[in-house]
Amino acid sequence: MVQYNFKKITVVPSGKDFIDIILSRTQRQTPTVVHKGYAISRLREFYMRKVKYTQQNFHEKLSAIIDEFPRLEGIHPFYGDLLHVLYNKDHYKLALGQVNTARNIIGKIAKDYVRLLKYGDSLYRCKSLKVAALGRMCTVIKRISPSLAYLEQIRQHMARLPSIDPNTRTILICGYPNVGKSSFINKITRADVDVQPYAFTTKSLFVGHTDYKYLRYQVIDTPGILDRPFEDRNIIEMCSITALAHLKAAVLFFLDISGSCGYSIAQQAALFHSIKSLFMNKPLVIVCNKIDLQPLEALPEEDMKLVMEMKAEAVKSILAQGGDSKDDEGVLLTMSTMTDEGVIAVKNAACERLLNQRVEIKMKSKKINDCLNRFHVAVPKPRDTKERPPCIPQAVIEARATANAKEKRKLEKDLEEENGGAGVYSASLRKHYLLANDEWKEDVMPEILDGHNVYDFVDPDILQRLEELEQEEGLRLEGEAVEEDFEMDGKELTEEEKALLSEIRRKKKLLIQEHRIKKSTAESRPVVPRKFDKDRKYTTDRMGRELSALGINPSAAVNRARSRSLSTRGRKRDRSLAGQGEDGEAMDIDTEHSNKKLRVRSRSISASRSRAIIAAPGGFTPGEGFRDIVQKQQALKIAKKSVRHRNKAACKGEGDRVIPNLKPKHLFSGKRGKGKTTRR
Amino acid sequence: MRLEKCWFCSSTIYPGHGIQFVRNDAKIFRFCRSKCHKNFKMKRNPRKVKWTKAYRLLHGKDMTKDSTFELERKRNRPERYDRNVTEKTLQAIKKIDKIRVAREARHHAMRFKGKKAMEHRAAITELEKSIDLVKAPAPLLQAPQEDTAKLKVKVSQPEAEFMEE
Repeated sequence: MVQYNFKKITVVPSGKDFIDIILSRTQRQTPTVVHKGYAISRLREFYMRKVKYTQQNFHEKLSAIIDEFPRLEGIHPFYGDLLHVLYNKDHYKLALGQVNTARNIIGKIAKDYVRLLKYGDSLYRCKSLKVAALGRMCTVIKRISPSLAYLEQIRQHMARLPSIDPNTRTILICGYPNVGKSSFINKITRADVDVQPYAFTTKSLFVGHTDYKYLRYQVIDTPGILDRPFEDRNIIEMCSITALAHLKAAVLFFLDISGSCGYSIAQQAALFHSIKSLFMNKPLVIVCNKIDLQPLEALPEEDMKLVMEMKAEAVKSILAQGGDSKDDEGVLLTMSTMTDEGVIAVKNAACERLLNQRVEIKMKSKKINDCLNRFHVAVPKPRDTKERPPCIPQAVIEARATANAKEKRKLEKDLEEENGGAGVYSASLRKHYLLANDEWKEDVMPEILDGHNVYDFVDPDILQRLEELEQEEGLRLEGEAVEEDFEMDGKELTEEEKALLSEIRRKKKLLIQEHRIKKSTAESRPVVPRKFDKDRKYTTDRMGRELSALGINPSAAVNRARSRSLSTRGRKRDRSLAGQGEDGEAMDIDTEHSNKKLRVRSRSISASRSRAIIAAPGGFTPGEGFRDIVQKQQALKIAKKSVRHRNKAACKGEGDRVIPNLKPKHLFSGKRGKGKTTRR
Repeated sequence: MRLEKCWFCSSTIYPGHGIQFVRNDAKIFRFCRSKCHKNFKMKRNPRKVKWTKAYRLLHGKDMTKDSTFELERKRNRPERYDRNVTEKTLQAIKKIDKIRVAREARHHAMRFKGKKAMEHRAAITELEKSIDLVKAPAPLLQAPQEDTAKLKVKVSQPEAEFMEE
């Protein structure tokens, strides 16, 4: 169907964009490189190709525009008229005509310049010819750019027109502004038309779809029409007039009998009579809206007369269709879109009338006979004269009777609306609880108590069980009170024993600690074990103290130890030599000297002197492993020397291989004040 | 809302704490904190991990069989609400708690019962064995303070022989 192609028209670019598109395409799709050394035919061909290519593109695009925009004569008169009303037929045709002329002009330009190019004799001349050709084509397009803009606007608006099928079942709603046409369409279809208190809220046609007897009906909402002479009507009203004029539809003329639209019934009746010519051959239903404000029966005399006149007109249309003049229930209907009263009835009446009319027309046409010949409705022949009515159970009949008699009960929904609506009111879900006592319905029960789930304890006979438990507990407590705590039988340690025990434990602890310290591991074991008591731990004083702590008189042991000490007796070697020296008078003088030395050496140094040597820095301590102080000092020197190199490199230790800064800037940059920088 | 038990350590999980892990066989494991969760992921057996309730119950450190536990049981049949029953239940919970706590304390006391006697015996043996560290043995104490050093007698027999010769 042509009308649906309105959405498929390609976008019309503006003048500038158009030029840009075509020229950039030419640049991309044709070869770009050319040198003046090429053969002349090649140069000519190069530039001719560009000119022709550009002309072809322009031609294509402009033809597309001209073809896709609909020809107002070639589409359904409804759309033709609608487009004329909206866009002005002449203007539209002019625009398209301009596009057409532009196309032709561009074709001519291209032809001329190609002819000239055939005789171009240098690169420069060919190039200027091409530039001129392209330039002229672009100027043509620039000149029609207003038309292009206009066509683009039309295209956008056309794409948004409602998709109305002029040939299918349609219901048209018309009337004064603000009578309730859009509310009605909102009620019966899924259309979401704006409903506002001001006139001309609806500014264009709106389509909704509704169903009746398994058939789909289009419902068209029109903008309101005022009672004016035809020539004075504006575009919006002309839309609805066009729709009325061209579409074969059932017409619902809306009447606001309460007058709240701002127009009296007389005015509305006047409008009706002025456009009644448009209602020829269309099933017409007059709908009185807003009866919640003003019931039909309560209308004053003149208004009633006017309404009856309109009804008479409508009845005439039925007669024209061949219906019964008595059959006028479907002509004048009342409804209210506010209270939903009669809305469905109106829709059904309109759909029914339209359907009947269409069926009749189809029946009268010749084509129907082809269909009728093809099917046959079979009706079962009655066997005998016995009547067999449908069987309805008694209960159903009774239920139906009571259902009609019973009044509507109050729903939760109504309750919600009363109490402030959805956001404000929250339904009490506990209303219908079945409890032993109705006061308990709103009780809040704790679920958790002291780290227990209360539900785990709930039990109807919890009390009884608790009692049993307490009895048990009571019995047990009594039983325990009888038993006494006679673990110990009065056995206890005395004070003295306790003191001894603590002393024992303390000593044991110390022993264990010392052992742990002394324990031989690779880390703690020196390579050369110490024989000399550097810390002076094992002294006779200490021994004396400890023995007296044990309760023994230490003097004997101390004296013995002292008499046998190294200082009083000297070393074994020295002793034996000294012994010989005394006896051997036949020894030499040298040996005497040497003996003297030895003797001097073996004599012990006095306490004060020994302390001085030990206290002196770098002093000689016998247990360290050095022969004498000279050796010790040499050793220290060697140690310092070995560490010097590392320290200069700012290393933490022998394992520190980190180079903090491979190329410190101050060493590798800068000019020298004097001298050369050939090496750093 | 329900207070659940941690699968690993059996402590109560309050709302807003812990993680629940649902395995592919639809078994739900609830954990009270990431410590238990991580232990579970390491595939540790709670019966072997000292600080869990499972270990303690298994090794008899805590009370296992008691009638107070019978009163707290997850019942799957919902009871119709009755205010009086609820009130009584709430009071009963407190009393049951007290009794249970008292019984657990008794259990722990029973466990620690023999400690004093054992300690006493250990102290006595230690005293006997290690008394030497602080007290000298009796004979040494009674010995007088005489100089028991040996007397040295110089024997000059070879000299005499020499001189003789």
